[in-house]
Amino acid sequence: MVDQLPNYGRESEMLSVLGMDSIDELFADIPAAVRYDGQLPLPEPQSEEEVLRDARRLLGANVALSERVSFLGAGLYRNYVPALVLQLIRRGEFLTAYTPYQPEVSQGMLQAMWEFQTLISELTGLAVANVSVYDASTAAAEAIAAAHRIHNRKAEQKDVVYISELTPPSRMSVIRNYTQGGGIEIRTLPHSSDGTLDLDAAEQAAGSCGVYVEQPNPLGLLDGGLVRLKEIIGENTALIVGVQPTSLGIVECPGEYGADIVVGEGQPFGSPITFGGPIYGIFACRDAYLRQMPGRIVGRTVDVNGEVAYCLTLSTREQHIRRHRATSNICTNETLIALMGAMHMSLLGPEGLHTLALRNMAACQLAKAKLGTITTLALPHLSGHHYNEFVVELPGPASECLDYLDSQGIIGGLDLSRWYPERKNWLLVSVTDQNSKAEINLLAAHLAAWSSAKIQGASE
Amino acid sequence: MSNLFDSHGAPGSGWSQPAPIMAADQVSLPAELVRRKPARWPRLSESEVVRHYTWLSTRNFGIDTGFYPLGSCTMKHNPRVNETIADLPGIADLHPLQPERHQQGLMAIFHEMQGMLAICSGMDEVALQPVAGAQGEFTAIRCFQEYHRSLGQEGRDKVIVPDSAHGTNPASAALAGMGIIEIPSLADGSLNLEALRSVVGDDTAAMMITNPNTLGIFEVEIAQASEIVHSAGGQMYYDGANFNAILGKTNPGLMGFDAVHYNLHKTFSQPHGGGGPGSGPIGVRTHLAEFLPGPLVKRRPIRSTDTTAIDEQWWYTWYEPRQSIGKVQQWHGNAGAVVRSWAFYRRYGHTLEQMTEHAVLNANYLRHRIHQCAREQGVEGEFGDGSPAEIVKHEFTLSMLPMKESKGVSAMDVAKGLLDHGFMAPTVYFPLVVPECMMVEPTETESKETLDDFAEVFVKVLQADAETLHAAPTTTPVGRVDEVYAARNLCLRHPMDE
Repeated sequence: MVDQLPNYGRESEMLSVLGMDSIDELFADIPAAVRYDGQLPLPEPQSEEEVLRDARRLLGANVALSERVSFLGAGLYRNYVPALVLQLIRRGEFLTAYTPYQPEVSQGMLQAMWEFQTLISELTGLAVANVSVYDASTAAAEAIAAAHRIHNRKAEQKDVVYISELTPPSRMSVIRNYTQGGGIEIRTLPHSSDGTLDLDAAEQAAGSCGVYVEQPNPLGLLDGGLVRLKEIIGENTALIVGVQPTSLGIVECPGEYGADIVVGEGQPFGSPITFGGPIYGIFACRDAYLRQMPGRIVGRTVDVNGEVAYCLTLSTREQHIRRHRATSNICTNETLIALMGAMHMSLLGPEGLHTLALRNMAACQLAKAKLGTITTLALPHLSGHHYNEFVVELPGPASECLDYLDSQGIIGGLDLSRWYPERKNWLLVSVTDQNSKAEINLLAAHLAAWSSAKIQGASE
Repeated sequence: MSNLFDSHGAPGSGWSQPAPIMAADQVSLPAELVRRKPARWPRLSESEVVRHYTWLSTRNFGIDTGFYPLGSCTMKHNPRVNETIADLPGIADLHPLQPERHQQGLMAIFHEMQGMLAICSGMDEVALQPVAGAQGEFTAIRCFQEYHRSLGQEGRDKVIVPDSAHGTNPASAALAGMGIIEIPSLADGSLNLEALRSVVGDDTAAMMITNPNTLGIFEVEIAQASEIVHSAGGQMYYDGANFNAILGKTNPGLMGFDAVHYNLHKTFSQPHGGGGPGSGPIGVRTHLAEFLPGPLVKRRPIRSTDTTAIDEQWWYTWYEPRQSIGKVQQWHGNAGAVVRSWAFYRRYGHTLEQMTEHAVLNANYLRHRIHQCAREQGVEGEFGDGSPAEIVKHEFTLSMLPMKESKGVSAMDVAKGLLDHGFMAPTVYFPLVVPECMMVEPTETESKETLDDFAEVFVKVLQADAETLHAAPTTTPVGRVDEVYAARNLCLRHPMDE
């Protein structure tokens, strides 16, 4: 491919310096028995224009959320990414850098990540944060593993960690993969019928290595009871709270109610949904957990002239130094996406953050109020307080309802039987700051139409 | 503004947004959950934010800035059309929980990528879900674990790694719950078959190895190694970090490997973004395919009921492997990286081996030119080769030990000296088997002139006096950074009260 190879056509000139006649001599060390001969069965090379044309054709055939009225969230949320984020992130000095192993020429990214750590620390109310892990699920899994390393020696319930029974199965699966090697047993904590954590049952978690819960929880509920959870489980059991980070513009930060580790999906700050990746996992903790933290951490220091400078620090936790005794195997992380988050947060400021959280909650609660007036629907968690999401109980299968809504140009939400198989009629409706009143009214009208038709059909 | 937190905008200033669609006093929140202390974030205007991050970018070095010969990292040019493609709404605004009929175009790209990666590696099935090389390693070890369990061989709980392996290999295996057996390399850094024979047994789950090895040397006895591990009942894992050296010339399947990960952020030009994102899909042979993390993309002939099909022949569906280990990332991995890598591979198509040829040509040329320049300047005794091999693959190692002993200049000092000449430094102190190691990987996207320049500058740095190099760098945004001070005086966030 001529345009990607500056030395194309100059091979013999360079080979002659090496005293060689052909490229093949450079591969003479590969034994014949393992040589691949012949052409790779791949298509003809394409020019940039042709690749772009194919990409536009293929990706243009997808149905983007932005083309429809959408109420699908469930862990990834539609947001507004300010224009400067998408433009500045493409500066080649950020985009095309590697991990900052040479700090003298990597001060830009190092400082940006140190500032990111500060933004996340302030947001969560915890002392320290790292520069990101892969996503919210791996963050939760790494947090559980860290809690196990810290508390297992003194734990009354050895090798046991409790997690909310509502945790979506895909996240549960990631957690199981990451913790089975450490011999960690995962037990679940039940929720009451109103959707909040059963605090009496949570007492059984006292003396275990840790507890993982989410705020808002997977049903979209803000659970006031969680502020008492740390007291219930005790000092020697880690409280790990998963958050939707924009909610912390209004909702109390978990650091203030005893969380030892806060994790979450950073995507609503700065990143498009991008089919679920690349996104970035937030990881913040108390000082006492610092040395068990996974991933890169930036510290402020000085250079030889005493000037402020930044560098990676606490590397002795990491795989390239500690090898199999490292706190995690993570090496490549999601720095660039975290930088998008930092840019967005820098623009928002404290008042902007509050407004953003209020917009999300207002939109969600308006939708809930509107759907609550439709007599053919039920809201199982009517009395609860919701941030982005709430459950609607339909008079028939959510999958059928979603197909109907799709035919009307609406992406209606998540069929919750994909998470909880017995909940065939539960629809998880997600509403963000990007949804208008008109969209909510449209959803309400179509849900009313579908549900009355469903009930009528059933009674005939 | 040298720091984000130096600015002191007035309360209420800053980013404006549309008003909430319901009045604030009608929004309900449990009293105990009302946030009491707001996050102390800065209050900045748009111009301040633009200027801050632009300033930071000028204090950062990327491939776009200059030559980046960081060994093991394959810092090749990142084609810009890939970014244009990743911004299209059909990927940027696509949600993984939408129905299949909304995703056919992206699924077609996934399917094509699964196939392309299988072809290039000699594997049978590919899972795109792992989001980094280390996660690919971990995923494959989990597949091995479940495979052994399915055969009633739970006792296979040891993973063998050469002492020259990337640190992620033992870390990933340990995370999966494996014990690690490290075997010593031979004096030339290559694989020690005798050592391997002495450690394999009934407890062997797998061996993890990269080829070419971390010295850039092709392991010629790789097929024998595979045979030793296989006859003991173990699995062979190929660390794909060095795939840029062999693509199209040999493949892990031919070498006897059972599983492999690909670093899309190395071989396939996903930009590394200052630390990530990456993408680390894995490929496996048939006997492991049903253990892969799901779902994978499969296709079937279209039916009359399929609407919105993207071609006349195929309909794409998600497939959950029957004995899947489950998930390692919540969604479908780093789809954005997969799309960029697809765009990269499409430009080469069946000529992908040209990429490999030029990567290896550039590495050998640069190695030769460094020695040539050193001889011309009479400093060939100041350093040695990390390996005596005649030819290298995509990277090579140099040992600065002679210089360290003669004038107290370390590999790190040389690295810092190179920064003063506008080059990124090679990887230093890795692999551990080479004392005072510098590991150089030019990649295929550097011109002969750049390589010539680097060789000359490298030798010029070797000629500098010790004091100059100990004091280097002096032309960079900051002078030599005190990493020990950082670790002893931890300051991991802005203290605010300064």
